[in-house]
Amino acid sequence: MNVIEIVLLAIVTFIFAIDQFSLTEIMYRPIVACPIIGLILGDVQTGLVIGGTYELMMIGNMPVGGAQPPNAVLGSIVAMIFAVKADMDINAALGACMIFATFGQYVVTLTFTVMSGLMAKADKAAAEANPKGITAVLNTSMLILGSLFAVIAIIAYVGGVAMSGALQSLSENASWFMGGLSAAGGMMRFVGFAILLKIMLANDMWGYLLAGFVVALVIGNIDALASATLLLVAFLGVFLALNDFRMSGMNKKIEEGGMSDGI
Amino acid sequence: MESNQNLRYVDTTPAPRVSKKTINKMVWRSCQLQAAFNYERMQSAGWLWAMLPGLQEIHTNKEDLATSMTHNMDFINTHPFAVTFVMGIVLSMEQLKTDPQTIRSVRISVAAPLGGIGDALFWYTLVPITAGLTANMAIDGSMMGPILYFIVLFGCEMALRYGLLYWSYNLGMKAVSMMTEYAQEFTHAASILGVFVVGALIANYGGGTQLGIVIENGESPIVIQNYLNMILPCLLPLLLTLLMYFLIKKKGWTPVKCIGLILVIGIVGAIFGIWAGGYTPLVPVPWTVA
Repeated sequence: MNVIEIVLLAIVTFIFAIDQFSLTEIMYRPIVACPIIGLILGDVQTGLVIGGTYELMMIGNMPVGGAQPPNAVLGSIVAMIFAVKADMDINAALGACMIFATFGQYVVTLTFTVMSGLMAKADKAAAEANPKGITAVLNTSMLILGSLFAVIAIIAYVGGVAMSGALQSLSENASWFMGGLSAAGGMMRFVGFAILLKIMLANDMWGYLLAGFVVALVIGNIDALASATLLLVAFLGVFLALNDFRMSGMNKKIEEGGMSDGI
Repeated sequence: MESNQNLRYVDTTPAPRVSKKTINKMVWRSCQLQAAFNYERMQSAGWLWAMLPGLQEIHTNKEDLATSMTHNMDFINTHPFAVTFVMGIVLSMEQLKTDPQTIRSVRISVAAPLGGIGDALFWYTLVPITAGLTANMAIDGSMMGPILYFIVLFGCEMALRYGLLYWSYNLGMKAVSMMTEYAQEFTHAASILGVFVVGALIANYGGGTQLGIVIENGESPIVIQNYLNMILPCLLPLLLTLLMYFLIKKKGWTPVKCIGLILVIGIVGAIFGIWAGGYTPLVPVPWTVA
């Protein structure tokens, strides 16, 4: 146990936690993060090996489309702690870190849910034309995420492998709560859509809303096209919009041209 | 927030071109797009923060800045690196004082499909290739592995952010100034595109909201969600969006109140094992959770 190590570990965890969604979005990747943690724990070599191995494991397990895979930041950090401090071999450490990675995913879900509440603060700052208010919202958000991650990293460092069992049973007992939270998290975007529609949806546009829904369902269920769904939908949307633009442009010309065309 | 129905800029004189210094600042700020990511509006606060230097230069009176900031808090989700392409287009529209309604529609319509393109290029192509080349160097104990990995990916990321912002800003200026003669018609057409894309987002992003109730029945368990899918796939996402729209538009609910309602629906549902997600319900129920 070493206070300087704990402090440095907490600081880099704080930074990596933020980096996984903003800053560089590259530094948190295991291949970069593990050697840095190795430097702190005094074993860069193990850091390189775990980092390289973990990075290869992550190919095909990317944070894409709002899905949250087991969290790579806590995975890397805890695997390093177990390998260097508890002298576990590399594969065992990578296996044992997974419960922490799952916990990291819970923390991310929790933060993203809680941050929805902060949007009201951002709306208020916007209405008052107050740029500092927006900065404050971003800083609060990063502070919450970074601190939660740092705390879990310290728990792993102090509690060691013994914590795995405790976390395991906690995550089993609280699974209904996390299940509910991620169900709610998945539904919150509908509020965002509703706010958009409140402004955009004129009465003559309901058909377009349903048409977009249908087209996305159809394309999304064709395997060969599914990954390009939104782009294809946008192409079709551009066609509809251009068509509408042409029609209304023509109407305007006719109105301006008066009745001379015999219309 | 309540009265943003028909936002218009007070000062509709096009602003002078945004300075290079400000645009460069926006490139760096775009890195913080997801710093306040959340499930309700995803990247909106980070988006607004990245746009702010430009918006402050363009909207010199406070009232217009408030209008602009308000509509730039809309839901947005796009690729975190390619976002600067959307920023450039929106910046040009703000500079020419385009109707905010048009900006809103164009923004969501450009942002949504860009997410998929960016993911395909970056996460599914560049990252796996770079990782494949450098991970073995690291495993063999060479510091060059992580260093090369960082330089290649961060270099590509920043070049993309920088190049896309300048390119799309110039592109936007050309395209938008052609539209000014038919501003009203353009707004209507853009709204059609926007509404069409939001309809698609409901199906594309909403698919995670499913019932998890599975009733044991020997060889062929009864999955309630399958029956719902027979009526209409993504029925729940559609109904929930319409419910939220109804509550906000007709009942005057604030977004926070809607979020609170959704939290209750989600957690109470999970207590009884109604939502999918592979957890153990708090209350023992006569079905299993998918």
